[in-house]
Parts: sequence; C-alpha cells; structure tokens
Amino acid sequence: MVYPEPLEKLITGFCRFPGIGPKTAQRLAFYLLDRPREEVAGFARAMVEAKDKMRFCSQCGCFTEKDPCGFCTDPRRERAVLCVVQEPRDVLVLERTGQFRGVYHVLHGALSPLDGIGPEELRLPLLARRIGAGGIGEVIIATNPNVEGDATAAYIARMVKPLGVKVTRIAFGLPVGGDLEYADDLTLSRSLEGRREM
Amino acid sequence: MRLESISLTNFRNYDGQEILFHPRFNFFEGLNGQGKTNLLEAIYYLAVAHSFRTGQDHEIVNWNEEYFFLKGVFTQEKGRSLVEIGYQQPPGLKIKVDGKAIRRSEYIHRHPVIIFSPDDLRLVKEGPSVRRRFMNLEGSRLKPRYYRQLKEYHRVLQQRNRLLKDMKNAAVNQALFEPWDHALVALGGDLIRQRLSLLQTLEKQACFFYRQLSASAGTLSLRYLATVEVGNDPALIERSFSDRLKKTRSVESKRGCTMIGPHLDDFALLVDGYDAKKFGSQGQQRAAALALKMGEVNLFRVSTKETPVVLLDDVFSEFDLERRKQLLQFILDGEGQSFITSSTPIEQLVRGLNGGKKIFFVHKGKITVDRIESVN
Repeated sequence: MVYPEPLEKLITGFCRFPGIGPKTAQRLAFYLLDRPREEVAGFARAMVEAKDKMRFCSQCGCFTEKDPCGFCTDPRRERAVLCVVQEPRDVLVLERTGQFRGVYHVLHGALSPLDGIGPEELRLPLLARRIGAGGIGEVIIATNPNVEGDATAAYIARMVKPLGVKVTRIAFGLPVGGDLEYADDLTLSRSLEGRREM
Repeated sequence: MRLESISLTNFRNYDGQEILFHPRFNFFEGLNGQGKTNLLEAIYYLAVAHSFRTGQDHEIVNWNEEYFFLKGVFTQEKGRSLVEIGYQQPPGLKIKVDGKAIRRSEYIHRHPVIIFSPDDLRLVKEGPSVRRRFMNLEGSRLKPRYYRQLKEYHRVLQQRNRLLKDMKNAAVNQALFEPWDHALVALGGDLIRQRLSLLQTLEKQACFFYRQLSASAGTLSLRYLATVEVGNDPALIERSFSDRLKKTRSVESKRGCTMIGPHLDDFALLVDGYDAKKFGSQGQQRAAALALKMGEVNLFRVSTKETPVVLLDDVFSEFDLERRKQLLQFILDGEGQSFITSSTPIEQLVRGLNGGKKIFFVHKGKITVDRIESVN
C-alpha cells in the first residue's frame, strides 16, 4: 500500500540508515508516530544539534565538540604513544577497553585504489607532520585486519620507520573466553603467526 | 561419505524433485538433454557449493525463476548432516548445515566428491585458465586456507591493477606500490607453494593410475609452470617474485595490469617428459586426464579420511573396452557411493558393477525409479 506522504518520507529516510531495511524502517516510523510530540521534537533537535556541533579534531581526526578534542588536550594522556585507527568509531571501541592511555590518529578510511582512496584522501600527510614534529616514541597501527587495512599499515610503517620511531601492529588472535575449536582457521593461523614466547 | 537424499527446486531444468539414493551404485539412464548432467551438478553443488560447469551461480537457476534451492543429507564418519543451499540474486548464496548458516569458505572443503566427465579432457587440451581453475578449486577443497588466500590475493591484484591503470594517465608515487607489492608477493608466494605441494601429491597418485591405464607404460608427471622463477628452494619464491615484480613494473604500467603471479600460472601434464597437450596422442591425452581424476579421488580419500563419492557423467562411452574395464574396477575397488549417468543403454554397465544398486530413469527434468537391485 502507499502511505500518506509525511509517513512515506519518514520511512524512506530511515531506509537510508546503515543496516535498516524497509521493514525495520516501517517499524521505527510507526514507533515515532506513537511517541509524545515533545519526545519526538527533542529527538529531532538532538539529531540536528549533533550534526551542527560535532566536528573532527584538527589534530587527531576524532569526533569532538571542541577543537582540539578531549584526547588531544588531556594532560594525563601519554603524548608519546600514538594509535592509528581507520574510523572515529574505532576510537570509542579502544577507549572502552580502558587500556590505552596514549593519543589517537584517525585516518577516515584505508588505502584503496579501487575506491580512489590514496594517502592524500586519508589523513596520512597530517600523520607524517605530527610524527615529524617530534615527541612521539611509538606508533601503534590498529587498522582493520583485511587486505586494505594491512596495506595501509605497511604504508605507514614504511613512512614512519625512517624517522626513528618504533612501529607496532596490534595482534590478531583468538577471542578471549572462547574455545580453540570454535575459532575459524584464518584467525587461528594468524594468531599462530603472531605467537609470543612465554 | 554417502549422500542419502537430495531435493532440487528450480535447479537447471528441475522444477521440484526429491530422490532417495542407494548407498552404493546409482544409475541414471535417459536421452541427451533430459537432465542427467544437471542432477550430477546438483549433487556436486550440494557437496561443494560450487559448480563444476560454471563459476556463475545465476546460470544455474531454472529459466524464468528467481532462485534455486537444494537440500540433502550427507552421512560421514562424524555423523549425519542436513545441508540446505539456496541462491537468489540478491542476496546471493546461503548455506545452512543442520540449520546453522555458514560461509562458503567454511563449507567448500567438507565433502569429498569427484566428478568424471568428458570435459576432463579439457584439462589436457585447453588453455591455462582451465588448469588454473582446477588447481584453485582442488586447492580450496583440500585446504580451507587456500580459498581465503586466493580471495585476498585477487583483491590485492585488483587494487594493484587499479594503481597501474592510474599510472597510465598520471604519475603515481612509487611508494604507493610498496604495500600492494608486498601483499601480492606474500599471498602469491604462499599460493604457489601450496599449488606445488598439491601437484606433487597429485602426481604421485596420478602416475600410479597412468601406468595402469596406458598400454605403453609411460610415465605421467605434472610440472608447475610459473611466471615467477620457482627454483629448487620454495622458501625463495617470495624473493624472486619480488625481484621480477620490480623489473616488470615499467612494462606493467604501460599495459595497466599485473603481468606476473599465480593468477597467470599453469601446469603441464607430461608423458615421458613431453607435454601431452602438444605431443600426446588422443589415447595418451585421455589416459592422462583420467589418471589425474583417479589420482584426485585417492588424494581426497587420504586427506579427508572419508571414502569419496564419485560422479561419472557419461564417461564410459568415451573409452575403449580395456579402459572401461579399468574404470569399472577402480569404482568397485573404491567401495564408495557412485552416481553414473549414461545416454546409451546401461545394462552392460549395471552387470559390470557387483553390488546393491538403484536404477533411475531421467526424462524432461523428472526422475523416476526404474528398479532396485540388492547385492547378488
């Protein structure tokens, strides 16, 4: 059936969201129609506000309200350790571990000639400048463990090593708390390659 | 391993069909173009999630339909499993084992099924791409790692070719090639090594059968033909690959594609040291192709510790009396389940294979049971 125009527009809007198909879009739209007006208005404002106020940190490329961002200005963070990630959301994932106390550099993608993405399209020249400015002792590369992520890591390693800075790649391995027998063989062979002495 | 049953929906010329198989011999009789090969293709597809005839899944869908669906029960040493494979474009292929969805890469190596068909002769007679597909498919089926590495290799190849094409139009920073060269060499070197070891084990098996098949008692050997110098030490492949890559860069950038690597490699079947493709007689070529497939059966038997299922697609009419006897003996000795099609009357074949059997009749995409014979 054809919905009234305002509803149809809402559903089409939700449909564009990642991971949302027509059925879920419909469900979300009907849910919104069920909610009180103030709640929906608040939600709409939150969306516009986030869009208006959030920007990328000019130094590390994270999402931030203030530039430079909280990570770059926090005096308690170790400035000598720099973690390179592909996407802003990867920062949040790493932060959840509470393990990493250094600073970040977000590339906003990975090298992929097929998509027309070269070093200039990523924040790689900026990374080179940051490292060139000194004060960084280790660069941890946490790009995705796939063909493009690996190539990007290799490119960065080549770029950084001549500057006398230590370069490391995060380990690939088994999910903690899982059984060895359930690990897929690629993960298992990668974790064998990355084994370490005890 | 055994296939207990299969059900086909919209697969090639089958609208809907359910068949219960005999654990030993299954014969399919019928005129040409009725669906005998299609049925073997369905069995192979259910076992491997690949066709032996095409790399294009959409070709398999019944004319005027949008999807195909296969379902069947396999019995192996580790137990029974219900397999369901459905294809629709989009979303593509879906594989379920006992109700649990799994990826093609985790499925491809599970079931040892070998197809013998008149097309096997193409392995000897035709161009490199036929043999490359053979190495890739068998490599993937024997080692899960091979399939993933092959996929990654092709992804890297595409990326690198794009850079080379870009270079035709404008200068590209040479440093940009390095990560892709590195990945190409690492993945490609490993692929070459795996193919070498595949050919080596296959050669041993195939050589044995060739000696039985060929009247002149010649020797069959398999030689990998690499675009990269392989040498005697497989550990050095990466180095020579990387050196060659540097040297060919300028030519590659003019052509806009990668000109060395396992994606262009081939292998030769040699009879007494001579390429069977160029110098072999019809008889030698047929014997070489057949020996290769027989060797494959044994290779799967050893590596999967299961008795392979053998599919024979109208192959008996291809051979003379002596070879026909040898192939029959091979099937009998194999003790596994076999599926045999023929467009000529099969009474002689049926009598030639001692054991329980079921004989089917195939007509216009419908299969009916003709008769069942228990062990004589």
